Parts: sequence; structure tokens; C-alpha cells
Amino acid sequence: MPRLTIDGKVVDVREGAYVLEAARKAGVEIPALCNHEALEPWGGCRLCMVDVTFEHWDGWYKAVAACLYPVAEGLIVETRTERVTNARKVVLDLLLARCPDTPLIQRLAEEHGITQTSFARNPEQTDCILCGLCTRVCDHLGISAISMVDRGIGREVAPPFKEPPPDCIGCLACAEICPTDHIDYTSTHSRREIWGKSFEMLRCKTCGKAHITVAQADFFADRNGVPRSYFETCDDCKRKAHADIFERLGTGP
Amino acid sequence: MAELSPCTDMAPVDDILGTYPREEASLIQVLQDVQRVYNYLPCEALTRVSEVLGVPLAKVFSVSTFYKAFSIEPQGRVTVKVCMGTACHIRGAPQLVDELTRTLGIAPGETSEDLEFTLKTVNCVGACAMAPVMIVGDAYHGNAMPAKVSSYLGKKGVTDEN
Repeated sequence: MPRLTIDGKVVDVREGAYVLEAARKAGVEIPALCNHEALEPWGGCRLCMVDVTFEHWDGWYKAVAACLYPVAEGLIVETRTERVTNARKVVLDLLLARCPDTPLIQRLAEEHGITQTSFARNPEQTDCILCGLCTRVCDHLGISAISMVDRGIGREVAPPFKEPPPDCIGCLACAEICPTDHIDYTSTHSRREIWGKSFEMLRCKTCGKAHITVAQADFFADRNGVPRSYFETCDDCKRKAHADIFERLGTGP
Repeated sequence: MAELSPCTDMAPVDDILGTYPREEASLIQVLQDVQRVYNYLPCEALTRVSEVLGVPLAKVFSVSTFYKAFSIEPQGRVTVKVCMGTACHIRGAPQLVDELTRTLGIAPGETSEDLEFTLKTVNCVGACAMAPVMIVGDAYHGNAMPAKVSSYLGKKGVTDEN
């Protein structure tokens, strides 16, 4: 297990981990927007910049993204140097210009002493910071219904042809992972709507709760070879059914 | 050049797909060939490419919109480019664009209704000594004059007003 020093704290972390994980283990907070423990690191937001060095680098430091820099024995990480703070300020200043009314960005910027962006405010109202979490989680689930579209200032997250996505199963993973709640959806006991596509809800056979969409059940049953009946009761009822079985097993005849 | 109707014959797409391995790595080459045949990427073609290469449609669309070399809108038979680099700008490129917009009835980035011309502004074509430069199809026109815009549009060869 590599041993490294982060802001003076010594921490042992598993081989193959990245600096961000090590910092969290050491109790050192590093802000990050495009990172999620369920997904591969991406290095898109550049907010987790830190300075790293080794004893043998003779005082030479390198600025790296903590989420993508692998840990190594003897690595020394500094998360509060002036250079690191300045790098984060630039990122937050730019994000605040893009999303001036987004609470998460306002809060992070304020924590770094920025209350007003020094760039021109984005005339188009958006909460999307293009962190790519939604498109990556959609890919990760094997659905790939949405993706980054266009480039430069026109870049946005959208379904193909900006029309209701044929591959979407209405799982809401994109909306739930979004750090700024940018992705709109509505969900009732009968229908769910997201990306302009409407889904029929599947009601739990036992309690009647609308727990997933019919498209979700079909997709996962078909892909994983799980009997579709598995999805016809909700997680709560499944848990209850198991608890009943265990209880009976425990009390015996 | 193929006829540019929105719902086009897909046979050329199948021919193109037949010449590359059916894998994600072939995507850009296939799209380049499709762009060459239709002069844009018809949505039916993108759907077919996605199915055959086994690449999600969202990814195909993402790549198609990322590169400037691809267009998802039908393009005119002839692309008219006006250089807006510093030298051309100073020597009157904006007037060329105005004149072209008046003559063709389209703004930069647009395509005429008869699908004959697409008007584009570009940032530097590397011919600053001939500024202002406009390019009609493959023909370069140096020291271009707004008054002669109509004649450039009909011309095949290279001209230099100096």
C-alpha cells in the first residue's frame, strides 16, 4: 500500500487509487464537480487541481488533477498552495460566468472568495456545467441515449438530433447524478417524462407503487436474462418478502 | 454529385459500410465517406451507420456535430467561403459578405433554397497577400471586389484582380 502525504497528513491508500480518493481518506477536502465514485475519473472540471511533488524533485512542484493522478509511494500533495487556489478560482470564475444563477456554483465560488464573475455573464440561462456525469452514467449503464453535442460555446448535452432519444429507458440516472439539477423530468404514478419522451410506469404487484418504467424492466430483463417477473415487485416489497422468509427460517418449526 | 433530397437512397451508405471493419474505430472514416457522397450527413445515414457499426446513435451524433468537416444540414453544391482573417477583414471582407448575402439571399452558415450555394466565413486561408480572398468551390479569387461577386460565382478558374 503506497504511503503518501497530503497537506502534512500521512495516509496509506490502496494501490491503483487516485489522489482524490487518498485525500478523502486522509480527511482533506478537495472540491470536484465531474467526479463520481460510480464512474471512471474524467478530469473534465479541473476543480480538483493540486500540487504534487516527491522528496527527490528538489522542491519542484507539478499541478495535476487529483481525480486522475495515481498515487505513488512517497508522493507529497499540497492542496492549499497559492497556485492551486488561483487555478480553482479561474475555473470557478468561468463556471460562474456560464451559470451565474446556479446555487452550487455560487456556493463553491463564494467559498473561494468570488461573488461576481469577472467575465461576461452567459446571456442564456442554464444550470448545465458540462461536467459529463449524465452522459457518462448513461454510457456506463450501457444505454448511451444522450451525449455531448456540438462544440465550443454551442456545446450541450442532448439526445441524437435533439429529439426524444430512442434508446432512453427513463431510468433517471442522468437527472439524479446531475450536480446542478439541470435535467428536467416529471414522474407520476402512471407516467414519467424526460428528454421529451414519455414512459409508462410499472406498478409493484404487491403495493402498487410505480417504482420503475416498463422500458427499464424490459431493458434489464432482456439484457441480463433476469426473469421479467423479478422487476414486477418493488425493492421495498422484495426486501419485505425476504425478511418474512428469514424470519420463518429463524423461528424454525 | 448525388441529388440532395432529405430521405435519400441508402445504397451508397451500405456500400461505404461494406469497405470498413464493423467496429467503432471505423466511425470517422465512414462518416467522411458519407459526407463526400451526400455533401452532408442525412439522419437516416447516421442511423444506419450506428446500427451497422454497433455504435450508439448518440455517439454517432456527437461525433457528427463535433467536427467542422461534417454537416448534419444539407449543404449547397458549391461552398462559397469568405476569408475573415485580419488582412482580409481590413481590406473589405465584410463588404464581400454583405454583397454575397444580398446576391444569394443567405447569411453566412446558410444554404440557398435550391441547394446550389452554401455561404461560409472562414478565419484565414493563408493568402493574406491577396486579401480580401473569397473561394467559390475550388476557385480562389484574390483582391476580390464586391462589384464582381456575381461574376466570381459563375467562374471556374482562379482570378486575381491585381
